[in-house]
Amino acid sequence: MEIKLKHLRRNYGALHAVDDVSLNIPSNTVFGIIGRSGAGKSTLVRLISMLERPDEGEVYYDDRRVDNLEKDELIKARRRIGMIFQNFNLFASRNAAENIAYPMEICGMDKKVIKKRTDELLELVGLEGRGNAPISTLSGGQKQRVAIARALAVNPDILFCDEATSALDPQTTRSILSLIKEIQKKMNLTVVMITHQMEVVRDSCDYVAVLDSGRIVEEGKVADVFANPSSPTTKDFLSNLASAHDSVVRWSKDGGRYTLRFRGSKTDAPILSTVSNETGAIFNIRAAGIQNVNGEELGVMVCDIGPDKETEERAVSSLMAMGIIVEEEK
Amino acid sequence: MSRMFDIVFSSTIETLEMVLFSTVFSVIIGLPLGIILQITDTEEHGGLRPIPVVNSILSRLVNILRSFPFIILIILLMPLSRIILGTAIGTEATIVPLSIAAAPFVARIVESALKEIDPGVIQAARAMGSTDFQIIRKVMIPEAMPSLVSGVTLTIINLIGYSAMAGALGGGGLGDLAIRYGYQRFNPSYMVAAVVVILVMVELIQVIGNRISNHLIAKR
Repeated sequence: MEIKLKHLRRNYGALHAVDDVSLNIPSNTVFGIIGRSGAGKSTLVRLISMLERPDEGEVYYDDRRVDNLEKDELIKARRRIGMIFQNFNLFASRNAAENIAYPMEICGMDKKVIKKRTDELLELVGLEGRGNAPISTLSGGQKQRVAIARALAVNPDILFCDEATSALDPQTTRSILSLIKEIQKKMNLTVVMITHQMEVVRDSCDYVAVLDSGRIVEEGKVADVFANPSSPTTKDFLSNLASAHDSVVRWSKDGGRYTLRFRGSKTDAPILSTVSNETGAIFNIRAAGIQNVNGEELGVMVCDIGPDKETEERAVSSLMAMGIIVEEEK
Repeated sequence: MSRMFDIVFSSTIETLEMVLFSTVFSVIIGLPLGIILQITDTEEHGGLRPIPVVNSILSRLVNILRSFPFIILIILLMPLSRIILGTAIGTEATIVPLSIAAAPFVARIVESALKEIDPGVIQAARAMGSTDFQIIRKVMIPEAMPSLVSGVTLTIINLIGYSAMAGALGGGGLGDLAIRYGYQRFNPSYMVAAVVVILVMVELIQVIGNRISNHLIAKR
């Protein structure tokens, strides 16, 4: 199901939590919305998921407007979406299976059908036989799996993940993300993933929108945005990612004026030698590595270029001519 | 000796009768009242359907009733007992002021038990398309059950105390026994017996209440 947002706005007093956001979230994709805390992510997801009404603007699921639904219509529409949260928000008074059964119970489904579907869902999320487990006995990852099963119980068209992996360790995060991707393909879901972690976007999203102070500052395919970030916010997210990620090795703490990004097949070509031969430039490499961005390889290199200013400029333009994305630190 | 046993025994039964019925009625009145207090509260305080007017009127009513000295409430409510039961005196008649005195207490206990629920859990239930009624019945009450059980335990213990007071105003029961036989007829053994029975009753209720509450928590 496609989601369209048109000029959404939501204020809390003088604070513009969401400020004129328009976005198209294509059907059957994993769409990431990334932003720092306070950027308006939570408000935005509450607006898109019909938990809160916008002050201005419209939300469409396919061609149906959903931001102005009333009572029964609203409740019906909410039963067609699934949502998972940072703190899992499972019911402590119910065991795993009863949690998963809840959304089916409130729709008045038959008990036998619920039982059968609950077992299927437990298996789908890799928790077969754990239905009777009290929630407090489950690990964080298992809790999120129960939450995913609960969100999928009514075969939703859309799955909202609100910081779904932020409370989990890196390894569990990866397993939850791969589960979400697997389910997305299997069930033809549109997944909207709210996060502050670039790793999450890199590992699971097809598209990304970067949110800052309630506005979308950048959006596009993940591979494009990673290769050629245009906004300072995005660059900031990416630089944190590069230093945090272990496949980029940095062997010199100083220097590193230029960041070069190589896409796809260019990661294999002997570009530096070619440029060096042509222009006489000397490359002093400070850090380098390859990042795997949602299935696409992206080479990253942090370096200084010498020996003189003139050669440096020629080398940069030559690199850019070869399709390398060059960022200069100022 | 056996006469004393008979008298203490029948007074105990009267007290149990008063406490049991007034607990049931105060929960019947107080539970919905507490739920309304919570759901009409502001959104920041977790209100599902904020209605400030209803909330502040109810809240004030509850406060007034709670701050009323019980002994005065009994006298004020005598006409009401007469309307409902045809009499203002006796064990049954005392159940009316006891229930009305305890109901606002129950309402506050219910309200605070419901406020303790993680707002995220209620948000999740809402996002899944629960109606307000489903959230109350299937989420809020089960989630708050251990606190509700402790609250009812506390209510019963308070009612045992109140019932002794009510007894002195013609309601019968152990309080009546202690005053009429123990105090006015200079019969300390009756006084001691009444107090011991009340202490045992309170202790038993507390132990049972804790057991149930802990059992509910342990299952989670």
